[in-house]
Amino acid sequence: MSMTAADTDQTVARVQEAVSARSNGGPLSASLPHADTLQFTIAKNALRNVVEALVNELQARFMISVGTDERSLTGEFAIVQLFSLDREHLYVLIKSPVSEEDPKIESITGIVPGANWAEREFRDAIGVCPEGHPDPRRLLLADDWPEGMYPLRRDFPYNYRPPLAENVRPQMREPPSGASVMPMGPFFPVLEEPSYWRMFVEGETIVGCDTRLFYNHRGIEKLGDSVLTYNEIPFLAERICGICGFIHSTCYCQAVEKAAGIETPRRARYIRTIMLELERIHSHLLWLGIAGHIIGFDTVLMQTWRIREPVMWLCEQISGNRKTYGMNTIGGLRRDLPNEIRPKLLETLAAVETETIAVRDAVLGDTMLHARTKGVGTLTNEWARKICVVGPPARASGVAIDARIDHPYAAYDDIPPQIATHEAGDTWARVLVRITELLDSIRLVREAIATIPQGPICAKIMEGIPPDRVGVSVVEAPRGEAIHFVQTGGENRPYRWRVRAPTYPNLQALPAMVVHANIADVPITLGSLDPCFSCTERMETLDNRTGKVRVYSRAEVLELSRRTTGKGGAR
Amino acid sequence: MTVWMLKSFLLGLFNVAAVLFIAPLCEGIMRKLRAAIHSRIGPPITQPYWDLLKLLGKEDLRSTGGVVYASLPSLTLASALLLAVLIPMGTAAPLSFAGDMIVVIYVAAMSGVLIMLGGFASASPYAFIGSSREMMMLLSVEPILAIGLTVGAFKARTLTLAGIQDWQVQNGPSISMAIAGVAFFLALQAMAGKLPFDIAEADQEIMGGPLVEQSGPRLALLRWAMWVKQLAFIFLLVEVFFPWPHFGNFLIDLIGTIVKVVLVLFLVCVIDVVNPRLRIDQALGYYMRVAFSSLAALAFAVIGK
Repeated sequence: MSMTAADTDQTVARVQEAVSARSNGGPLSASLPHADTLQFTIAKNALRNVVEALVNELQARFMISVGTDERSLTGEFAIVQLFSLDREHLYVLIKSPVSEEDPKIESITGIVPGANWAEREFRDAIGVCPEGHPDPRRLLLADDWPEGMYPLRRDFPYNYRPPLAENVRPQMREPPSGASVMPMGPFFPVLEEPSYWRMFVEGETIVGCDTRLFYNHRGIEKLGDSVLTYNEIPFLAERICGICGFIHSTCYCQAVEKAAGIETPRRARYIRTIMLELERIHSHLLWLGIAGHIIGFDTVLMQTWRIREPVMWLCEQISGNRKTYGMNTIGGLRRDLPNEIRPKLLETLAAVETETIAVRDAVLGDTMLHARTKGVGTLTNEWARKICVVGPPARASGVAIDARIDHPYAAYDDIPPQIATHEAGDTWARVLVRITELLDSIRLVREAIATIPQGPICAKIMEGIPPDRVGVSVVEAPRGEAIHFVQTGGENRPYRWRVRAPTYPNLQALPAMVVHANIADVPITLGSLDPCFSCTERMETLDNRTGKVRVYSRAEVLELSRRTTGKGGAR
Repeated sequence: MTVWMLKSFLLGLFNVAAVLFIAPLCEGIMRKLRAAIHSRIGPPITQPYWDLLKLLGKEDLRSTGGVVYASLPSLTLASALLLAVLIPMGTAAPLSFAGDMIVVIYVAAMSGVLIMLGGFASASPYAFIGSSREMMMLLSVEPILAIGLTVGAFKARTLTLAGIQDWQVQNGPSISMAIAGVAFFLALQAMAGKLPFDIAEADQEIMGGPLVEQSGPRLALLRWAMWVKQLAFIFLLVEVFFPWPHFGNFLIDLIGTIVKVVLVLFLVCVIDVVNPRLRIDQALGYYMRVAFSSLAALAFAVIGK
């Protein structure tokens, strides 16, 4: 897997050649800020040509667009299109300055359909219009948000409250003639979070669909570059998601560490690996249960969540919390992994492994489950590549990408995962891929525990983090590749912090997966993507109903809940 | 004459009351069993009574007007109770003089049809889809019930359920009735609205289908009707298709029937718990095959087996 320096040089040369040939007389500038990061600045009218070359000639995979208001630095906006050369372990950043007088840029959605949302997002957030984009509607901003207000511009206050609007509705497409609309959402039983889907149906067959999302958007990125400081952001990043919080805090910290050139101690990298894999274990078990629930198989839900519970208790013993561990900080960790936990950890893993294998065997042999998942929600390899889908949905469609292998981080260079792929692309393939990964995660934790080195858990950071550096970091979340992009700034906070959760590209594949399907297959198809809307929309929630704090023991909580139900719901 | 009328009226009343008040208990037992398979403790078995009480005490909210929508829940419960008085349950069916198996077949379909009409009347896309699914399920399951009872009628040379039951008790098991009984048992899962055939309601897909616009007392009556219907069908299976062992002692036979009913309840519940929901096309295909297989029962009956 590992590449020699000569290979990297060769790749860099190839990319440089391709970009130079297409960018109207060469790039404005080219640099290699890190060994795995290549950055070009090109004129914005060459963007489409350059992207075409990257995607078609070099098989680059589109990751995300970052729109930044750099007017205070350069007097212009900047749009960065981020690509990954997965086999060559290289990130390619294509930056195009866009002037305030002419805030337009060529849309690349025609070349990379997966850039659709990313381009709509920078149009909403900083007001740079992707010309030739097929969808003129809003993505990120609420329907009652006033026109001409761009929240991610730096002169826009983070605490601005728009005036109340009345009679606003999402702009939705009309169904094709002869089809009727079957709405799903914004609140729907199998959607744990709000999202609005309109299925265009003829009888029970889907002929198309339209969607409105981002009901959960809370402006986390804005807080990151206007209110919080470098070391406060990990806590907020961890709250982006209720399931894979550690993934986001790790990914953010890695991006800053890379930008600032901070070397994280090996022990911290191992502990991060252990926590990331524990998160994958409990997340995949959670998903398996929800998938069962969606097709009415609640026994799977109850049993997988019972198996999952000891993992949560383990996380609590390690970090003090079931979720949202608060362990990450720039340069390493705030809390060590106690050595006494080792036997308990191994014991729990053994139990989880045995029971997961039992569930796997039951699932594999269940013909009714096959009937509901085989050939359902098929995502072809072609569409998976076009939409730039990541994680288990990509691997189940034969796209062998895994951030842990393509861009190794934490301790995955020492303990590489075994990539699980499948060709069928249907819901059943996604089930198989996740179960295989779950068992592989158990192996990874065991290996990490066996080989974890002693030493410090946090790098000593002597001076401040220098401004105007970039860092791109990826983490393979249970749902796929999470990306954090950090451009460092002054005032002890990032100039720009961009988060892309794995559900962001994966959800865009849904329309291609449900067309010609039966209504009954839509929930499980959506569920098989394991969507996480709060990740995608970067939300935070706060429960401040009661100020009182009372600590209940586990036995007390169980007793209380049993007593309550025993009285027919009386409190 | 009047004494006989009064006696059957009282018996009928007793049957109605018994079914009405035992049906929620059966549901409670099934919930407890489901919880055990889920590794949960589950609600107490009296929970369905509390659920009904709570729902009955709520405001009667109606999402739409119209006679069909307004009268639907009470008519549905009434039709389920009517089914209960036409089916022998430990004793002879109290209103057996009022109708034979043809009436039973019609009444059996009634509550399903009513729920379907209520769904169409409630003007929700989910209810609409649920109702059309209900209709398809009804059309694919009813023939199995009809074929089964026809086999019995053919063997016993009578159209009354009591006659078929008597013939069964006297002549013992036969191949044709066994096949018809098994087919009816397979159809029971759909008639009771249990997984893998609760497709018309499918909470996760269409949010309860025809029931999506029902709440409070209206929902209570509909739920109650479903529990009554489920129990009535189980009695029909046990009493008509599998009436043995029959000792001729009223009390012992009653206990035997109850044991068998509980056994079938358990089976229905276990099948419900260990299966995911099928799609409507898969379910229709399945019941098509069951219906064709049950035709074999008719063939065996013709050749006297």
